[in-house]
Amino acid sequence: MSNINGKVYAMNAITPMRPWKTWILRLIFFILKNVKSKQQDLINLSFIEFARWVIIPRDRFPFLGNTQHRESLKYDYLLFFSNFNGTWNQYIDAFSAVLSHGLNLIWRWSEKFPGAVPVTPFKGYIARVQFDTDYYYTAYPEATANDVKSAHVVQQELNEFRVKGANCAPEQFQQAYLEFLIAVQAHLGYTGEAPMVF
Amino acid sequence: MANKNGSIYGLTLLCPILNDENASPSHDLQIREYLSELTADSQSPFAVAPGTHLARLVVMDDVVYVGMPACEEHLKSKYLVLESNFDGDLDDYLVGLATTIPEHLDAIWGHCNGYPGSSDKAKFVQYMKDCQLETTFLFAAVNDKTVTQTLAALQTQRAVAHFVAEHQGADSAKIQRDFIEFLKILDAIPPSKPAMNAQPRNIKTGGRNE
Repeated sequence: MSNINGKVYAMNAITPMRPWKTWILRLIFFILKNVKSKQQDLINLSFIEFARWVIIPRDRFPFLGNTQHRESLKYDYLLFFSNFNGTWNQYIDAFSAVLSHGLNLIWRWSEKFPGAVPVTPFKGYIARVQFDTDYYYTAYPEATANDVKSAHVVQQELNEFRVKGANCAPEQFQQAYLEFLIAVQAHLGYTGEAPMVF
Repeated sequence: MANKNGSIYGLTLLCPILNDENASPSHDLQIREYLSELTADSQSPFAVAPGTHLARLVVMDDVVYVGMPACEEHLKSKYLVLESNFDGDLDDYLVGLATTIPEHLDAIWGHCNGYPGSSDKAKFVQYMKDCQLETTFLFAAVNDKTVTQTLAALQTQRAVAHFVAEHQGADSAKIQRDFIEFLKILDAIPPSKPAMNAQPRNIKTGGRNE
């Protein structure tokens, strides 16, 4: 079991919801998906590589027949999977500090959700509804979400610079090289082994 | 479709695990034991199969009881959860898995109810789709780059950082000469393999203090 691979942490959480409330949550996600400005805080946090929410209606748990018994549940369930950089505490702290309004909007429909602020009962709730990961894979464990974004900036700038910089006179090259450096200087961070957090 | 964000597909599977009282150890434990031995480096099944950015496998034992006044209820099956973020379309991805890592799929999903095996790809794909949950909302920080493009970009980033550091204060004629050579070397470097830079992690702990 490991929730961590390199610089990414895998969080899994499941919370019960009364079925009539899930329709409100579906509407909220519909707005979140289609009004991009509503995602800005999530984007600005910039330490989430991928995240998803999945609503499972109480009668839609996969049923394959054979010897399996069909589930009989009172609640719908909200599954949350996140792939984020940093530690559990840093993540929950940042979520609570920056995204409390958005989090409340999503989880207030779940039973016993205490609210994202204050952070202590919020952490207690997350710890209660979280379950651990058995196997975790990432294609680029040495990189954070910001590293990936930066790497694509460097690649794009290099593609443009190589066209105009390779065949010009040294004086023109110097100018073009300086412009290239200015464009990439904030995107050359070191990627490597993740720090061990205790 | 909520399963997609840009070119990224978010696959969520919930596969019921066999509940056989006579199995010892139990099927969920056998899955966990297999997964605990599985490498997460470039030999990982998800590195061998094409297109996976991040993926996880989780045995979900039960739903969570959050306390009074909520009702306590339990699942009748344990479920194997696959959460995967990959490039392209679902059918291509599933066929890619069945083609490249059939032994891992059969060793893991062989403990799940109704699993038909990976040799019949049509049945395999249908089984996976039967276990699929529609993602309600999928977020991707970068949603328009493939795994190959991202690995190449990270390789470029490291090389450019090194080149820039090495050429601080050099005259422009030398920088230009070396830059042309640098581009040739960069173009000749074989592309990074997925998870090639994975570091072994000996500490495997759980819980909130990770």
